[in-house]
Amino acid sequence: MKARRLNVMEALNAGMAHELESDADVVLMGEDVGRAGGIFRTTSGLQQRFGSARVIDTPLDEKGIVAHAVGMALYGLRPIVEIQFSGFIHDAFEHIMFCATRYRWASGGQYSCPMVIRSPSYGGIKGGFWHSQSCEAYFVHQGGIKILTPATVDDAYRMMIAAIRDPDPVLLVEPVPLYRALSDEIVLDGQAAEIGRAEVVRAGQDVSVLTYGPIRHQVAKVADDLAAQTGIDVEIIDLRCLIPYDIGCILDSVTKTGRAVIVHEAPLSLGFGAELAAVIQEKAFGYLHTPVLRVAAPDVPYHFSIGDECYRPDAGRIRIAIERIMEFEH
Amino acid sequence: MAGKRKSGKKPAAGGGRAGGYCPLGDAVRAGIRQVIDAQGRLTGDLPEPDLDRDTLIRLYEMMVLVRAIDERGWVLQRSGRVEFWIPHKGLEAVHIAATMAFARNDWIFLGYRHPGALLLRGAALVQLFAQFFGRRDEPFKGRRLPTLMGDRRLNVVPMTTQVGSYIPHACGAAWGAKIKGDDTRFLTFFGDGATSRGEFHSALNFAGIFKPPVVFICENNGWAVTTPASAQTASRTFAQKGDAYAVRNLRVDGNDPLAVYAAAREARDLAAKEAPSLIEAVTYRLGFHTSSDNPDLYREPEEVEEWAAWDPLIRTCKYLERKGYWGKRQEADLWTRCTRDIDAAVEQAEAMPLPDPASMFDDTFEQMTWMLEEQKAALLGDLERCS
Repeated sequence: MKARRLNVMEALNAGMAHELESDADVVLMGEDVGRAGGIFRTTSGLQQRFGSARVIDTPLDEKGIVAHAVGMALYGLRPIVEIQFSGFIHDAFEHIMFCATRYRWASGGQYSCPMVIRSPSYGGIKGGFWHSQSCEAYFVHQGGIKILTPATVDDAYRMMIAAIRDPDPVLLVEPVPLYRALSDEIVLDGQAAEIGRAEVVRAGQDVSVLTYGPIRHQVAKVADDLAAQTGIDVEIIDLRCLIPYDIGCILDSVTKTGRAVIVHEAPLSLGFGAELAAVIQEKAFGYLHTPVLRVAAPDVPYHFSIGDECYRPDAGRIRIAIERIMEFEH
Repeated sequence: MAGKRKSGKKPAAGGGRAGGYCPLGDAVRAGIRQVIDAQGRLTGDLPEPDLDRDTLIRLYEMMVLVRAIDERGWVLQRSGRVEFWIPHKGLEAVHIAATMAFARNDWIFLGYRHPGALLLRGAALVQLFAQFFGRRDEPFKGRRLPTLMGDRRLNVVPMTTQVGSYIPHACGAAWGAKIKGDDTRFLTFFGDGATSRGEFHSALNFAGIFKPPVVFICENNGWAVTTPASAQTASRTFAQKGDAYAVRNLRVDGNDPLAVYAAAREARDLAAKEAPSLIEAVTYRLGFHTSSDNPDLYREPEEVEEWAAWDPLIRTCKYLERKGYWGKRQEADLWTRCTRDIDAAVEQAEAMPLPDPASMFDDTFEQMTWMLEEQKAALLGDLERCS
């Protein structure tokens, strides 16, 4: 099979198309996803190819869309739901966290809700807090849902397929700023990503940077700069999955470097970095040379006009944190 | 009583006539369809459904059994043997008659006052009581509050506990069946309070647009905990909310099982023809909201008395007597049989074991994550050390 060059959005589209093609129970629904292919065009051409009974333009009602998908999943379909922006997902929160994640447990295993909730997330598009939310941490708290977040073309395609095939609800936290900005060669072979595996993006000896989402590309630039300019050797881990996260990969890295910096776009307090910091001190206390540091957004809304520059963590702040942890003295 | 307050005057959405509490005596004026009156006589409004003697007796026997279960549940809760109870006295007709109007492979999304739906589909009494006692070997492994029932083997989906949240799940499942080309129909029950939630409106809106094979039954029982139907909506009826979404709708006497059966049967047929229905069944919660409630704080005893004269059991019994199908001896035998069967079920269910703490972690995911494996091992270790 020949490799093709796709951007992230096209890779997500190819993943959905592959599963719509191979499994008649897969349906796709959301606001404007059909005829127009979604406001980002992520679902372009799918309604034309698979018909309006399976690629469905819905009323403007996030709660209703997710709740109806829950019913479809109970009946045996595998719905993919597009939430237009993660900032609109809160209206559907009850149906994701108290219904989709609960039917299996609360029915003693009799029912299940295999469904994918696509949540276009992250900043960098001048979207303000409606369109640039990183609200994935809300979904971490109570089990029953897996959380995947691709930041490469390969992951976009394979995580989409893995999410659709998974027997439980999956939140797919999509990297809006990479939709068109990142492209790569990929073979569209229908292979799913393995859920729960992190990726060592860059091997290094001095400090582990644990991150996820599009900001991993910023971290990579900082690491290259630091290597060239200071000799600091950064190891970068893209978590890829928040639930379940790859504890083995994290501990291998942190016990080797003895230093951990966590970088995410989401707000600081009880962000996913808080969980990582806790688990690292529980399981690798004796290996740590320094406290765990976090680079995150502040606990305020994403600012419209200056948010991309001042609110969202950037290369400068990431670099400061890495230098600070390397200079740390007891 | 110190905290006693006057309840609001006649609820608009619950009533239909000035003064009094119960609109069933003037049903035609309130637009409420009926087959029988309070004395079990045919009113001449809706035609008498074509049900044979055995079916009618089965309907009535189930209503009595369900009433007897409620009486026992209450006693078990008050004596500390069941933790919590959600009474269903007076609400027997709607869910039992509607379930009988649907086929065995049709799906039902239950609310929480509907044990008859499971029993009609073959659940054993002991299964119900094991659920009330939270025992290990009932289908839901003791995880749900008493009376929040269901069973996939019987095509009865247990409710998501938030009132009304499951209405679009029922509609979505029906839509799924339509997409798959299956002939399954779907039925869901919810109360008057649930119509205030966005989910009710989402479901009706989607149903109007996508026309799945679903029947929505709003059991307007007059009260949502302490809030009267009149404070729930300014609409004249709950049924008319269907008009806004182009969903066929009607009101029936929810204490008249024959009217409910006729309406549900017709709605089931129409559901397969791209015509979902909203049926408002006008009924009354004769009991408490739950075992934690005290209706003396918010409603008048006269209201309960007036509705008690329209008790669905009394009306159905009189109807059967008029037809020559029922008498005092059968009535006494039935109650004796119910008491005996419930005694046996209680004894058997109460003797069953409670769930093992390790089972709390099961069914969160199809395959447990390492995170849950680790939390499970830690918890069980701690429990072991504490004991």
